[in-house]
Amino acid sequence: MTEFTLYTFLAASLGLIAIGIGGVILSRNLFRIVLALSIAEAGGNLLLVLIGFRHDAIAPIIEPGRTMTTMVDSIPQAMVLTSIVIGAGVQALALALAIRARASYGTLDMGIMRARMEADINRVAGAEPAASLHAPARPMLTERKA
Amino acid sequence: MNPSVLALVPALPLLAAFLLPLVPGAARRLVGPLTLLAVAFIGLNLWPMAQTEPMVLAVGNFAPPLGITFYADTVSALFVIAVALVTLVLWPWSGSDAGNLDRKQSLTLILAGACGGLAVSGDLFNVYVFYELAAVASFGLAAGARTAAAQIATFRYVVIGSLCSLLALLGITLIYVQTGTVNLAHLAQLAPHTLHNPLGLAAFFMILLGLGVKAELFLVNTWAPDVYATAEARVSGLLAGLVSKLALLAVARLLVLIFPLPEARDALLVLGMLGILSGEFAAFRARDVRRMLAWSSIAQLGAAFVAFAIPGPAGLAAGLAVALHHLLVKPALFLLADRWGGSLAQITGAARNSPVSATLFVLFILSMIGVPPLPGFWAKYLLLSGLAAQPQGLWWLAGAIILLTTVVEAVYLFRVIGALYGHDHRATPKSQSATAVIGSGVFAAVLLAIAFSAPLLALPLNRMAVQMADSAAYIARVLPPVLPGVAP
Repeated sequence: MTEFTLYTFLAASLGLIAIGIGGVILSRNLFRIVLALSIAEAGGNLLLVLIGFRHDAIAPIIEPGRTMTTMVDSIPQAMVLTSIVIGAGVQALALALAIRARASYGTLDMGIMRARMEADINRVAGAEPAASLHAPARPMLTERKA
Repeated sequence: MNPSVLALVPALPLLAAFLLPLVPGAARRLVGPLTLLAVAFIGLNLWPMAQTEPMVLAVGNFAPPLGITFYADTVSALFVIAVALVTLVLWPWSGSDAGNLDRKQSLTLILAGACGGLAVSGDLFNVYVFYELAAVASFGLAAGARTAAAQIATFRYVVIGSLCSLLALLGITLIYVQTGTVNLAHLAQLAPHTLHNPLGLAAFFMILLGLGVKAELFLVNTWAPDVYATAEARVSGLLAGLVSKLALLAVARLLVLIFPLPEARDALLVLGMLGILSGEFAAFRARDVRRMLAWSSIAQLGAAFVAFAIPGPAGLAAGLAVALHHLLVKPALFLLADRWGGSLAQITGAARNSPVSATLFVLFILSMIGVPPLPGFWAKYLLLSGLAAQPQGLWWLAGAIILLTTVVEAVYLFRVIGALYGHDHRATPKSQSATAVIGSGVFAAVLLAIAFSAPLLALPLNRMAVQMADSAAYIARVLPPVLPGVAP
């Protein structure tokens, strides 16, 4: 592998991160959000592997009888393993939550779900739903005096 | 004491969390509290030793900067004690069914272990790992209420949390590319030449956003009100009270050791001010007590960020005071809000049913506003005097904002007191549960003890801040200079 391919991979990892972050911000579907998250994490992990990589180096294992040559940096590899494990766990958790939420609300649309969550919270709290953001703040006690 | 006990601070709760479901019979319910007591005992033993000399552990005897370093100074020891005791007070003693309770207790232990690890870790990547561990445990706990609303709130929390963790990881990658190390002491040594440039600052901002999710930093705190409104009271208390403080501590360590730059301080100051403003005004508009507390917690953590932005030991002392005060007050208020979390109409006249809880509520509220001689006053006093000592500009603006928003804070908090002691024949307020009264009573006792001994505590607080601010001593302790002619 030459320097050129290394730069291609670097550009690819940054592109994956950008696609992932864009996807999380722009999607409304819960499953797409989780997918975008995993794309972004793949990009991050690829970047982490790449920073330790040298195209003329060997795997960082010292064996008897082998002459010392340039080795790839093993610390980013150790870090990326940790990061992959964490990422897999978090994605599984997010998917589990999405499945549960779909079972209760019957939709995967983030906008609808947030509105229903808001309504649920207000119902439990016994608070009336918030009026328009442009309305003046009212003291919460007014309805009591009526 | 052997420095290897430091490793027990994160390891013991994590091991206990793993073994807890395997312990038979009634002994299973004792595993958690006993583990936490053991961690508190370790913290108490660390405390006097750390005052004279911070304790360093090179895990696996790989001398720093190789391998993982644990570092315990007085602040770390204090936070280890706080983690163990606060988790013990907010411990899930009972649950709907046995399996559910096991899971909750295991997750709470993982959270305690990860928080303890954050307090003693001296390695940037290790901080990231413990932070993620705390994040995963808190996701599980936040979804533990098992309502649909809690699941959606937690889903948003997971998405924001893991996206910002990715940013933090990228920041750590940038730092590693620049320096080739993740050891905090080694980084502190190398930072003036390699990290005090735009690239280093970009890395700091990425890590700040990453850690800021748990510390409820402005921009990445949108999850907080929904999660605190839907999670169980003690989980809200743990997240707002404990986890946010450990994230704050990690940010403060980075700021002191690696990025003591005016640009980094300004970023903290501005984000903190925006947090205070948005938090206080949103709390003013909130229609139920629980979300009001969530927003006011965002505002108070904003004040802590402003405090840590002040350069020198004065800023650290103020930041620690604000953070520790919030650590005592918010979990107690969330415990009381378990029954009194609804709209003000719901809790009108609640003082008649549970006079003790109402008194405790008023005590915490007065401390939050900053009425002397309660600790909240001293925290705000340290913060304001620290800000006033700085050359004018943004610093004085921050001071003005804190004073002004105190008025807003007083208005919305007194509204709650008014409702508690009000009278309405239609309202049927719930009386408080015993666990909430006992839990918040413990916090109130500590709060009052601090109030009465405030003059005695100024000296230890200052000593702690001076020790934490001394980055040269940190480097020398972790990486002892190799003297010529002396065998290492």
